Amino acid sequence: MDKIVNDFTINIATANGTGSQSANLILLQTLFDMGIPVSGKNLFPSNISGLPTWYIVRLSEKGYQAPGDRTHIQVLVNPATWEEDLAALEPGTVVIWNTDSKMEMNRDDVISYPVPMTKIARGLNPKLARMIANVVYVGVIAELLGMDQEVLEASISKQFGGKAKAIELNSEAARLGRNYCAEELSEVCPYAVKARDVEAGGFFVEGNEAVALGSIFGGVQMLSWYPITPSSSLAEGIIAWLPELRTHEGKATYAVLQAEDELAAAGMVIGAGWAGARGMTATSGPGISLMQEFIGLSYFAEVPSVFWDVNRVGPSTGLPTRTQQGDLAMLYEGSHGDTQHIVFIPGTVEECFEFGWRIFDAAERYQTPAFGFSDLDLGMNRWACHGFEYPDEPMDRGKVVLTKEQMDSIENYGRYRDVDGDGIPYRTLPGSGLDPILYRGTGHDEDGTYSEKPDVYYKLMARLKRKIDGARDQLPAPVLREEAEQDIGIIFYGSMENTIEEIDDILETETGKKVSTCRVRALPLHSEVQAFVERHNTVIILEINRDAQLNGIMRKEYPNHLLDKMHSVAYSDGMPPRARLYAERIMDVLKEVGA
Amino acid sequence: MSDKPARAIKLNVINEPKDSYTGGKSSLCPGCGHDQISSVIVNSAWENGIKPHRIAKMSGIGCSSKTPAYYLGQSHGFNTVHGRMPSVTTGANVVNADLTYLGVSGDGDSASIGIGQLIHAIRRNVNMVYIIENNGVYGLTKGQYSATADVGSKKKKGTVNETQPIDLCAMAINLGCSFVARSFSGSKKQLTAIIKAAMSHKGFALIDVISPCVTFNNNDESLRSYGYVKDNSAELHSVGYIPHFSPLEQVEVPAGSYRDITLHDGSTMRLETISEDHNISDAVAALTALHKADAERKHVMGLLYFDGDKPSLDADLNLHDTPIVEMGEEILRPSAAQLDDVISALRG
Repeated sequence: MDKIVNDFTINIATANGTGSQSANLILLQTLFDMGIPVSGKNLFPSNISGLPTWYIVRLSEKGYQAPGDRTHIQVLVNPATWEEDLAALEPGTVVIWNTDSKMEMNRDDVISYPVPMTKIARGLNPKLARMIANVVYVGVIAELLGMDQEVLEASISKQFGGKAKAIELNSEAARLGRNYCAEELSEVCPYAVKARDVEAGGFFVEGNEAVALGSIFGGVQMLSWYPITPSSSLAEGIIAWLPELRTHEGKATYAVLQAEDELAAAGMVIGAGWAGARGMTATSGPGISLMQEFIGLSYFAEVPSVFWDVNRVGPSTGLPTRTQQGDLAMLYEGSHGDTQHIVFIPGTVEECFEFGWRIFDAAERYQTPAFGFSDLDLGMNRWACHGFEYPDEPMDRGKVVLTKEQMDSIENYGRYRDVDGDGIPYRTLPGSGLDPILYRGTGHDEDGTYSEKPDVYYKLMARLKRKIDGARDQLPAPVLREEAEQDIGIIFYGSMENTIEEIDDILETETGKKVSTCRVRALPLHSEVQAFVERHNTVIILEINRDAQLNGIMRKEYPNHLLDKMHSVAYSDGMPPRARLYAERIMDVLKEVGA
Repeated sequence: MSDKPARAIKLNVINEPKDSYTGGKSSLCPGCGHDQISSVIVNSAWENGIKPHRIAKMSGIGCSSKTPAYYLGQSHGFNTVHGRMPSVTTGANVVNADLTYLGVSGDGDSASIGIGQLIHAIRRNVNMVYIIENNGVYGLTKGQYSATADVGSKKKKGTVNETQPIDLCAMAINLGCSFVARSFSGSKKQLTAIIKAAMSHKGFALIDVISPCVTFNNNDESLRSYGYVKDNSAELHSVGYIPHFSPLEQVEVPAGSYRDITLHDGSTMRLETISEDHNISDAVAALTALHKADAERKHVMGLLYFDGDKPSLDADLNLHDTPIVEMGEEILRPSAAQLDDVISALRG
């Protein structure tokens, strides 16, 4: 029988806090370093130790990054989910299980590999047995699939960052797992790996770290944050890299403040922006909820501010360690009253870096809050990265008047006067001695003086609308992958990028129709998104939430003649999107509308 | 044509007239304590010779927080949101530590909605002056009790307050605030000396100023009326201030016992003993003074607590001497070579 090569999914069921994450990352890194297209998803609990965790490794020759439709190889270590995990498996699944778990193997239709993982680990180091038992299953997998031992040991070395003792112990555990498999297990494994050409310069990085680095190359001057999953590693990434990248004459060119709550974090960002600096915060939905009042102040007083929202499942505390695109509408129209905000939506780790620096330019150019919208899937999982491109434009600090000459050249200056006709006024900075102003969240006229006059308020709100509308085509344009037929078009955004190709392939295979896609990368919507809708007969707006939030935004903004052909597929269960699940929902809608 | 020579305009140490420190016309009720505080702020900044454009005036929401429009018209300011002025000031302070941050707040801002932010600004020792214009009631919403209203006090309308108040000075002392004072909007001399000293202090300076609300809480049954406070003040000492540009030896030395405290900019705060000596370095003595006055239904006045050695937030952050806000792209954006190094590190 021919083996299935580089095209299967491994599911590893463990408990958190047992060191399994290191073992799983070693497995992922080894496959990656063998040149095999691979992705890893960590499904972890909101807990420090002892609750179920699954790690899904997808190998795909086509480069599909979503978790597959089914599990081909199951590793069972955690007694707590044992029975449920085992029952869910399709016949013929490879099951590598820890015989020391004191759990039954009650399936005879699976390919069973019993391994005394804990016993093997205990023989090596009784104290650390629980931890290194995880590396034993990595060794077993390596042997079953035919992974290169040298690459595996290099990954172990990478994971433990040169700590000789840990590297030696874990390498030995992997070897013992391999040996046990070779000597004691005789069943033939239907799956195998084969090394491919390794992409030069590729590496793994989490979306959060990519945003962190992008922010530093964007010249972040003040970071304030309050810890919250899944955004903490974004702030911590900035904190980790700042000393190396932003020390000048032995001193810091940045300030980091861990705030007392998200309200204060937002206040600090706005304080820094008011003073003339690039301030930012990183949070998740619950934090954005708390920041609403400040978001309105930043919008209305026209103070630049940057907020990264790494979306987790809401509402309320929700599923804190699961993923969703549920915050989009809240970001776009955050705070009370009429508001509209700029939102950057990266779909890849490369874009996480790029938007990390670009977002400051937008916030300062438009003197307004700018949001980065990521999610747990993109932010906290490791993704293959092709590299980061150095910013190709100088920083845009916007319309800041720095000298008296500049001030004198502006005719009829007023802090909120639209001198250039683009809705963007000029501003002066505290301490500069130039045209002082008392910023306020109350109604104000073009000079910044308090006013409740109807025409003053109306004109101010109309200008703010014009200002943000003017940003549409200056923000990242959508990524279009269009077919000649221009029949069915899918509009999507963010981390769905990693599943769309597989969805597209399923749709084309099963409907025989060509499908174009359009990935939105910013709000307010670029005019090319509307043009894409115009060009296609049937448009599906695909998103990972219940309420079809992008669909709602488009329906509100687009002309009536386009509305009939726009259809929503919105689904969220907390899991990273699986292609088949979304493809089937799309096919249901296409059938329903006769497309 | 008149032959009269123009009257010489009085200038301060940096040759600025007082007009450079005034603001717009107040829209508060005539007689409001807050207006007296505004005029003290104008005098203090002028007499201290601070360049008006190097002051940042910060506030939250409420009657008190409207006042930055009425003083220091040449300073930038930020009338932020209710109770959140401390965080905005903190964010501005760390990117531009060279400005003098002057925060004005009320008892609604500071003792209720924003008490958390106040506490954390004290905890960080943000280098700022924080004035609480404390009248025990919410004015803009028409006279509800605030969290500083004294037990047994009765405002113009409504019932006697029975809820325990929050004493912001006691709270600040317990938090280790580096400068804690209480004063009265009607004690112009004392308040001026305290505000000047606070401006010369590096660290968080909290000044709780009883500032009667003439519309809702100035009746005889109120413990925060002009009449009550005047008759029931317990002064810890008399406070004097000698700016760094006036040589100490030219200042008349008081007859009784006194203590001089050197502030961060070289100015001197002179505390003259009135009856018994108050040790401003002793937090327990400060709390005792507060509790004693409280038991006697009196308001203690003066500098309660002082710690000139505590490093302020900006000193804690190892910041470059050039304010971060003044740095250009060449410093703020790492080089392409540095990005290559980052990527090499990520490759492992």
